[in-house]
Amino acid sequence: MVETFIQLMLGGVIAGSVYALIAISLVLIHNGTGVVNFAFGDQLMAGVYVLVFSQHFLGLSLAPAVAIAVVVSGLFGLAIQFLVMAPLRNRPVLIPIVATIAIGAVLREGIRAFMGPNAWPVPFLLSTSPYHIGGVSIVPSDLAILGTSVIIMLCLYAFFEFTKYGQAILAACANPTGALIVGIPAGATTTSIWILSSMLAAIAGIVIAPLTTLTPDIGLIAIKGFAAAVLGGFASLPGAVVGGVLLGIIEAMAGYYISSAMKDIASYAVLVAVIVFRPTGLFNRASIRKV
Amino acid sequence: MVTRRDTLKIAGAAMVLAAAKTTYAAENTGVTDDKIRIGILGDLTGFAAIWGSGNLSGGTMAFEEINAAGGINGRKLEYISVDSESSAPKGIAGFKRLVDQEKVFAIFGPTSSAVGVPMLRTMAGSGVPIFISAFSSPLATNPPSKNIFRSGTLNDADQGKILANYVTRISSKRSIAIMRQSDEYGKTGAINVVAQLKEIGNVKFIEEQFNASDTDFTSQLLRIRQSDADVLVVYGYPAPSAIVFRQVKQLSLPLQIVGSTATTSRSYAATVGKEAVGARSMFPTKYLPEGADVEIVKFRNAFEVRFPDLARQTRPEATDQMAYHGAKTLIEGLRRAGRDLTRETLIKALEGLKNFETGIANASTFGPDRREGNRSAYVVEVKEGLGRMILPGEYSAI
Repeated sequence: MVETFIQLMLGGVIAGSVYALIAISLVLIHNGTGVVNFAFGDQLMAGVYVLVFSQHFLGLSLAPAVAIAVVVSGLFGLAIQFLVMAPLRNRPVLIPIVATIAIGAVLREGIRAFMGPNAWPVPFLLSTSPYHIGGVSIVPSDLAILGTSVIIMLCLYAFFEFTKYGQAILAACANPTGALIVGIPAGATTTSIWILSSMLAAIAGIVIAPLTTLTPDIGLIAIKGFAAAVLGGFASLPGAVVGGVLLGIIEAMAGYYISSAMKDIASYAVLVAVIVFRPTGLFNRASIRKV
Repeated sequence: MVTRRDTLKIAGAAMVLAAAKTTYAAENTGVTDDKIRIGILGDLTGFAAIWGSGNLSGGTMAFEEINAAGGINGRKLEYISVDSESSAPKGIAGFKRLVDQEKVFAIFGPTSSAVGVPMLRTMAGSGVPIFISAFSSPLATNPPSKNIFRSGTLNDADQGKILANYVTRISSKRSIAIMRQSDEYGKTGAINVVAQLKEIGNVKFIEEQFNASDTDFTSQLLRIRQSDADVLVVYGYPAPSAIVFRQVKQLSLPLQIVGSTATTSRSYAATVGKEAVGARSMFPTKYLPEGADVEIVKFRNAFEVRFPDLARQTRPEATDQMAYHGAKTLIEGLRRAGRDLTRETLIKALEGLKNFETGIANASTFGPDRREGNRSAYVVEVKEGLGRMILPGEYSAI
């Protein structure tokens, strides 16, 4: 039935938007710093807990609580850069990656100790009451996830494409030494990326958490974000979005047309196939190095 | 003249004496004239901390209360908490530390099936009395081990049976849909639901599964929509179950939802939202932690005073409540074992408990072949305004 197919597509795209939101941030930080940030899921979680704390214990309304969560998350990114990444900048790349795992564990267990292991309710940004159009249920709160993902993608695209600062960051990422010669400080660029991606973590969390329920383990969702980023090539922002949405759609279709037990198997089979037959991902060109 | 045979006899007698002394020492290890050492083993960090922290708070409260009241037969309880970190190897290491280094007399825990089930052989072989209040794998008590008791919570075999009986009763079409988590928890629950549905006979069912980290359940729910099921059993952890509860309403599926006991935290309905109204779940007792029953109110007030930091997290929860009940049941066993306390006398005393009431959970009954204290459940329903109420009727697995 057509409406069943559309409903599945919609569900897949919404779930895929969640993955895409995470994948975008992972790609951004990887492109800018060379680090795969395994703490991202926990940063996402911590950002939402700041929002919940601001609302429940400081009595703030949603808008200022969101602002505080995003700012605090950005400051946390700044702290990561200055206290952890900067001192490790000349170490093998594996060391900062392991450091992100440690940061994630500290955040997760710290939040669990302070806010408890139970779920906290998080307000939806839009209504959860569905509209039924032609036999298809459309939920505004789900569309908020899709919309946020698209808006962030467009903002990042505009920032990197049309602003001098964005261009400077891209230049520093591509060639740190060359960028330094023309007056672009690599350190400031890296710091900006940590702040920006950490703010994105909070935004992603605030959008996703009402759907998924907020617990200290919500960051596990980042695993799907990693898969989406790999599918897209781990270097391309549009690739991250397409990878995420594709992953969501494959899961939904496989879950319905094959079996719910095959949801993950099908999506990871596609991921493995892409890695085997197109190791650079769907949206990344193979780099050629002349020797 | 001492012959070789005499030497062997003397050596043999010495070994028997030494063994007897060791056995006696093991039998009352951790017991002194004025103290009984108890180990509290549970997951305080990691994904299963939701149960471990309840085990610690409920246990601590009960032990502190009995100490304040003068102790048990002239002895105070001294308790040592060890975190099993939601990991089976850490659980086994923690258990050995409590037994071999801390020399405890008995252990209160462990608290999750993922940790507890791999520990069962170690626990059963130790001879140390183990009292479980949280985890629900039926393997903990079936087959029964002499030294392992459980009370308060409902095991997944009993819960599956009760769920199947209940949903068959409320399904006008005798057609049931089951959505279960793909891990051991969901699998064990669903196996028991399905087994009982087959036992009942003349009931159609469809089974779908999901992962604990899934965020979209459209495909499973649309498959269920193709069946004529009018009742949906959800057997999974709180977070994915909450999305299922919500999506059922958003897709306008005409299903009465009945969740497992994992979907009964005090804040659960709020995390689902208004879509939770009308949803039902199994609950291991008729006393809700937010209820107005006399003993519950006393417990809740005392809990909020003792743990103000936990109270702001909408606690006490059912896990705190079950642990408090479990600890009080263990205390009753220690009391009945008398002043001449050994592991054997404690086990005998626990076996003698029949319908032991604390007023905050179902009564506990044990016996020579029975290690499962609670074998019945109630159904809780979310009302308008997201309050909860226990529906009339007690459902037994026996």
